Amino acid sequence: MTRALAIAGVELRRFLKDRSNIFFVFIFPLLLVVVIGAQFGGGGSTGRVAVAAEDSTLRTAVVEVLEDDGLTVTFADAEGVREQVARGRTDAGVFIDAAAATAYTAGEGVRLEVVPSSQSQSQATMQRIRTAAEAVRVEQAQVVVLTERGVPADDAQTALEAARESVAGPTLRVESVNEIQQEFSGLGQFDLGASSQLLLFVFLSSLAGSVTLIQARRQGVIARTLAAPVSTAQALGGQALGRFVIALFQGSYIMGATALLFGVDWGNIWLSLTVLTVFSTVAAGAAMLVGALMDNEGAASGVGIGAGLVLAALGGCMMPLEFFPDTMRTIANITPHAWAYEAFAEIQRQEGTLADILPQLGVLLGMALVLLALGTWALRRSLVRSM
Amino acid sequence: MSIQETQAPVLVVRDLVRRFGDLTAVDGVSFAIARGETFGLLGPNGAGKTTTISMVAGLIPADAGTVTVGGEQMSPRSVAPKRLIGLVPQDLAIYPELTARENLTFFGRLQGIGGAALKSRVEEVLSLIGLGERAKEATKNFSGGMKRRLNIGIGLLHQPELLILDEPTVGVDPQSRNSILESVEALSGEGMAVLYTTHYMEEAERLCDRIAIIDSGTVQAEGTRDELIRLTGGVDHIRLEGSGDTAAAATLLRELPAVQAVDADRHSLVLTVRDAPTAVAGIVNGATNAGMSLADVQISRPDLESVFLHLTGKALRD
Repeated sequence: MTRALAIAGVELRRFLKDRSNIFFVFIFPLLLVVVIGAQFGGGGSTGRVAVAAEDSTLRTAVVEVLEDDGLTVTFADAEGVREQVARGRTDAGVFIDAAAATAYTAGEGVRLEVVPSSQSQSQATMQRIRTAAEAVRVEQAQVVVLTERGVPADDAQTALEAARESVAGPTLRVESVNEIQQEFSGLGQFDLGASSQLLLFVFLSSLAGSVTLIQARRQGVIARTLAAPVSTAQALGGQALGRFVIALFQGSYIMGATALLFGVDWGNIWLSLTVLTVFSTVAAGAAMLVGALMDNEGAASGVGIGAGLVLAALGGCMMPLEFFPDTMRTIANITPHAWAYEAFAEIQRQEGTLADILPQLGVLLGMALVLLALGTWALRRSLVRSM
Repeated sequence: MSIQETQAPVLVVRDLVRRFGDLTAVDGVSFAIARGETFGLLGPNGAGKTTTISMVAGLIPADAGTVTVGGEQMSPRSVAPKRLIGLVPQDLAIYPELTARENLTFFGRLQGIGGAALKSRVEEVLSLIGLGERAKEATKNFSGGMKRRLNIGIGLLHQPELLILDEPTVGVDPQSRNSILESVEALSGEGMAVLYTTHYMEEAERLCDRIAIIDSGTVQAEGTRDELIRLTGGVDHIRLEGSGDTAAAATLLRELPAVQAVDADRHSLVLTVRDAPTAVAGIVNGATNAGMSLADVQISRPDLESVFLHLTGKALRD
């Protein structure tokens, strides 16, 4: 076992010494998580509104009601709000011009311009803005009526606030019946991107790392290993363990870095680590197979990256599986990525237990055993032929 | 082929056979190596040297015959006899991304060395191969000679009883080559048994106590350098060039006891003699006394190239 560990350790060391890996292993995955989170992440907020308005009583009243409802309100000029809406950085933009502000102060009717974004949450936010506007209108009407009855404006305002605190008003609860929206509800902005990129990069790094196995074979290092008091099983086991350690390292790094930097919630961390461990075993088996079957490093690198990207795309790492048509969803099941994706979804979104992810773990374990057996057999065969 | 077993041999190879399909790469090879002995396998590329070594090191199985190292039978499944062997393969079997120290440490662990013993042994070997000051540098930046030295150092880490060197000087500059040969001489002097394959006759002559000449998978002849040379008849040639009466000189020189034959023409004599270095002084005196004015004297002695040619009918580097 010590010798197998020594072989695995040296493989990890070689992986970490490769300078090109500084970008592709440490930086690139996090960049993609950020990009995907920015593009598709729900942001995890309960609704975002950008307001374009000069300071006025109307603006203060509207913003107060919106914030009381739990919406996140930001301010910008009209052009800035339009850009935020267009880029999906806010769910809706509210524009309050000077005429509206003056009319409100005078107790007259006011029209607000509201522009929704294309974000999935924008319609719900729009409804909440309408409700807020209605609340402001009612309060203003009440103040106008009271002042017309001779109550000073300040007293009228104070009386209304006291009335609001003593009487629980109706609350609006917007609930989406869209299945996809329900599936992703509660996910943080980067949660989905983190798990999908973890799967993509664990497999990609492992397959790309199969090149080092070809180099070790070609340079005669594996043969030299076998000339030492090391059994064939230890040598092959060490190589398999080396691929596994590389995959596990890549996955653990993404898991830890996204949790620390982006606050990604991995659910039950032990279950997530279990999924990562089993998925890393599958990736190690695939890397063994590619490294044993191919003799040319350039070709192996191309095949590794190509296969890694295609499997990731099929397995839901570039577009969520939930958006796949039924046929593609079925085809996705040939990839280990799809099974691991489902397991992570269960853990991250549904607070799934070990029992919930057992089917996915079972399939992944089966794939791992088949690939490791094939990889070991192919490597042994290639060594015998080369000596 | 008889096996010389005058002292307890470290390695005994008996009737080794290895086939690849229809090709018999090694066909009945036998030899033995004692402690402190350097044994050479001399033959051209494709003669079966590396295949023989692969079986001796337990990398591939033999189709027939046996390999015994330190009294234990060797096969690819063997572990114990592999502890006694240090293999220095022809390829530079090192990790280019790792430093010299990391490479040595890794292979040391494979040999079962660990902790302080490994650390100390790594430093010893680094010093031995002259890479102490470059120990922290990735080996991909090393020169060919430095890589060769590290390749040898890895084979020495666990202080094996038998060191197997497969063409260790291929592609090495003359300075590094000389350094490698000196190291092998020193190791042999310390009592290590060395199995050395080469197709360079000069290396075999310089290093090896005994030599097996191998061609087409079979050992054509085995013995010390002198024993092998005697197979060719063991005679030297002395060529005298100059002016004067070469016929008279030839007549005179034929009478000398060391001279077996003389061929003469107008300006030169070619004498077949035994032990030319001893006989040359008398022959030069004789030729001068017979009236020859000598311009040049050349001695040619048979070497392993001649032996190979004699045994196989082809040159060693064909």
